[in-house]
Amino acid sequence: MTEQQHSHHYQSGMTRRESLKWLGLLVASSTVSMVSGCGDWTHTAQSGAGHWPDLKLAPITARGYGQDPNLLIPPESPWPKTLTAAQLELVAILSDIIVPREGSVPSASQVHVPDVIDEWVSAPYSVQQQDRVTLLHALAWIDDEATLRFNANFAALDPQQQLAIVDDIAYDNEHTAEPFRQIAGAFGRLRSLVLAAFFCSPVGTRDIGYMGNVPIAGDYPGPSDEARAHLEEVLADLGLSDCAYSG
Amino acid sequence: MPAFRHEVLVVGSGAGGAMAAYTLAKAGHKVLMLEAGRDYDPKTETPMFQTNGEAPLMGASTRDKNFGFYDATVDGGWQVPHEPYTTASNSEFLWWRARMLGGRTNHWGRYSLRFSEHDFKGKSRDGLGADWPFEYQDIAPWYDKTEELVGVCGTNTGLDDMPPSPEGILQPPPQPRIPELLVAAAAKKHGIPVAPMHRAVLTRPKDDRAACFYATPCGRGCSIGAAFQTTTSLIPMARATGNLQVITQAMVKSVDVDDNGRVVGVTYVDKHSVEEHKLTARVVILAASACESARILLNSKSRKFPKGLANSSGQVGRNLMDSTGAYLGALIPALKGRPRYNEDGHTANHLFIPWWGHKMQEKGDLDFPRGYHFEISNGFSQPGAWVGGNLQGYGPALKQDVRDHYGAYVGFALRGEMLPNPGAYMEIDDKVQDKWGIPVPKFHFRWSENELRQVEHGLKTARLLLETMGATVGDVPAAEKAISKGGEIIHEVGTTRMGSSASDSVTNQWGQTWDCDNLFVMDGGVFASNPHKNCTLTIMTLTMRNATWLAGQLDKGML
Repeated sequence: MTEQQHSHHYQSGMTRRESLKWLGLLVASSTVSMVSGCGDWTHTAQSGAGHWPDLKLAPITARGYGQDPNLLIPPESPWPKTLTAAQLELVAILSDIIVPREGSVPSASQVHVPDVIDEWVSAPYSVQQQDRVTLLHALAWIDDEATLRFNANFAALDPQQQLAIVDDIAYDNEHTAEPFRQIAGAFGRLRSLVLAAFFCSPVGTRDIGYMGNVPIAGDYPGPSDEARAHLEEVLADLGLSDCAYSG
Repeated sequence: MPAFRHEVLVVGSGAGGAMAAYTLAKAGHKVLMLEAGRDYDPKTETPMFQTNGEAPLMGASTRDKNFGFYDATVDGGWQVPHEPYTTASNSEFLWWRARMLGGRTNHWGRYSLRFSEHDFKGKSRDGLGADWPFEYQDIAPWYDKTEELVGVCGTNTGLDDMPPSPEGILQPPPQPRIPELLVAAAAKKHGIPVAPMHRAVLTRPKDDRAACFYATPCGRGCSIGAAFQTTTSLIPMARATGNLQVITQAMVKSVDVDDNGRVVGVTYVDKHSVEEHKLTARVVILAASACESARILLNSKSRKFPKGLANSSGQVGRNLMDSTGAYLGALIPALKGRPRYNEDGHTANHLFIPWWGHKMQEKGDLDFPRGYHFEISNGFSQPGAWVGGNLQGYGPALKQDVRDHYGAYVGFALRGEMLPNPGAYMEIDDKVQDKWGIPVPKFHFRWSENELRQVEHGLKTARLLLETMGATVGDVPAAEKAISKGGEIIHEVGTTRMGSSASDSVTNQWGQTWDCDNLFVMDGGVFASNPHKNCTLTIMTLTMRNATWLAGQLDKGML
């Protein structure tokens, strides 16, 4: 099914590539050598301005899991996944930039975050379909940007080149240059999903420090001594020590 | 198996239906219960300990599972396939249904607060809405019995909004958690009380139900029976008497009357065969939920009752009330990076803010008539599809930012009383039928100034408390924007209200319809008002009281 489905999802790559060439001519060859961090507006405008992929995405037509799914053994593949191998690879690279390996804590792709993203953007629900539009455009934009700057897909760039692009799009705030506003928002959505998927994994759940979901025999013990001591400090700092709860 | 000859038909298996069936079965009366959804057994179907990471979409809400993948609700939610409803063009109303044995008791919040003397006699006090046809003291003993049967944890606080239970009834509540303790201190500074929530969750074993082991959210249902739902308690206990039988997938279409207008039984559609069946009974009890029971009555037209059954007052479908809802939350900087511990507890509020304004209202210090409470959202909850933080950049610093923000947000969810108003009601939409050929409800809904001013007060109070905890809140949204949609809090009641006169109510204080003495309503529809305290405990309490009265009538041969 993949071949057929992908041809439905995307406008011919050639057409878009051709328009990119046009754009490349317009923004001139200086784009390749430009850029680092937060460039000034006119500088970044040359790469970021003016291009936003025009994808024609067919709606997801799969069925949802319905109103009475098996909750004990949740469906592993509730609907067909739709990302191409190239898109999955790009998601994996970006996921590992967002959540890299840290010591013994694995990176996002090592705990299968890209599969979660694939399941998410392939889901037949409204929130996820909106995210699919956002994320697939972001992925296409990132490859387009890589092509414009370095004349290769993002996956083919060296880590420094990859970070040069990510640095421009990973901050969505009042300093974000106008040309990167849209992609910064879209990248932010990817970032949130990658983080959520990472922290939902068993190692991520340990990493964030969630200690629940274990049965307790007897009464709930309440906060630890350390947590209570911390609260006392907080109450003191806020001038609330005299108002401490006494049951 | 010997033939089962029922005396009473009960429509619905939730808080009202199951309590009615249990009470009658225990009293020796044979009951046949009709449930519109499928059979359901929490012991074998509840996802205990499954993680969000194991669920599709990290457990996120979807149109199929509105409260998240693991929510107990089966074949239900804001929309049920093939069972539409309509809303008037200028109205928004959401109608939650659960098509399963046990109904909404399988996933409810388990908050179980007694109504007080203020709540039953609001009109006597402020002239608004309707009084209930009895006093608090009439129903207090039934609260005692219901709390004991259901199993409620909490304490007697001495607060005027929380009537006490007799010694030994309430089970011990769990220890408060850190953010709740911080809220309590901030509230105390402003003279606002914070109290242990009352919840229908066992902290001590009862019957064959285990005590809570403080893991896995109660909204999934509870395979060990700690969190109350009728499918692990009242229904199996009633079945054990031999006096209850249940037919599932039975969608009741109408209540049938004879030529004299006496109720003789019901007509239902078997959802498997899509065929209609008729059942007869000495007594019919509707407990299908406020709006479903009103719908059945309005659809039960006959020569004698052309505007629907039990509707001579014209009040069936009127007085539709939900709770008000609004939310304000913020990051509490002082809680960033706080020490970790297991904060699951019984997975809902250990502490909450009860209504503290009765005295202020007596003095005329408030510009709105009825009360609200705050539920506190907080905690180190199991990671899911949402993460908090500044969420800028990437790499180790980003991860650390998320870790720092984890468990550092506190929110206040307001739940308040709505007064009935002429713009909030349901009728039958003659143009639309569901898959079973039953005309559907059409909802009209609006809030009044009473609710908007209450929400405005609540938002200001929530901001004050958040700021006292060190949060930066900024402007609060306007009440019109912040207030929930009608039905969204899923506390809809009032559509077959009880009263002391046949002219302005549908039933008497026993839930017996004024028009037909062998027809009863025992769900939230009979509420004369909708206090802020969540309806389920009072639905069960009223039902225990009224089904006991009904059993006495049957014993005396009165019906």
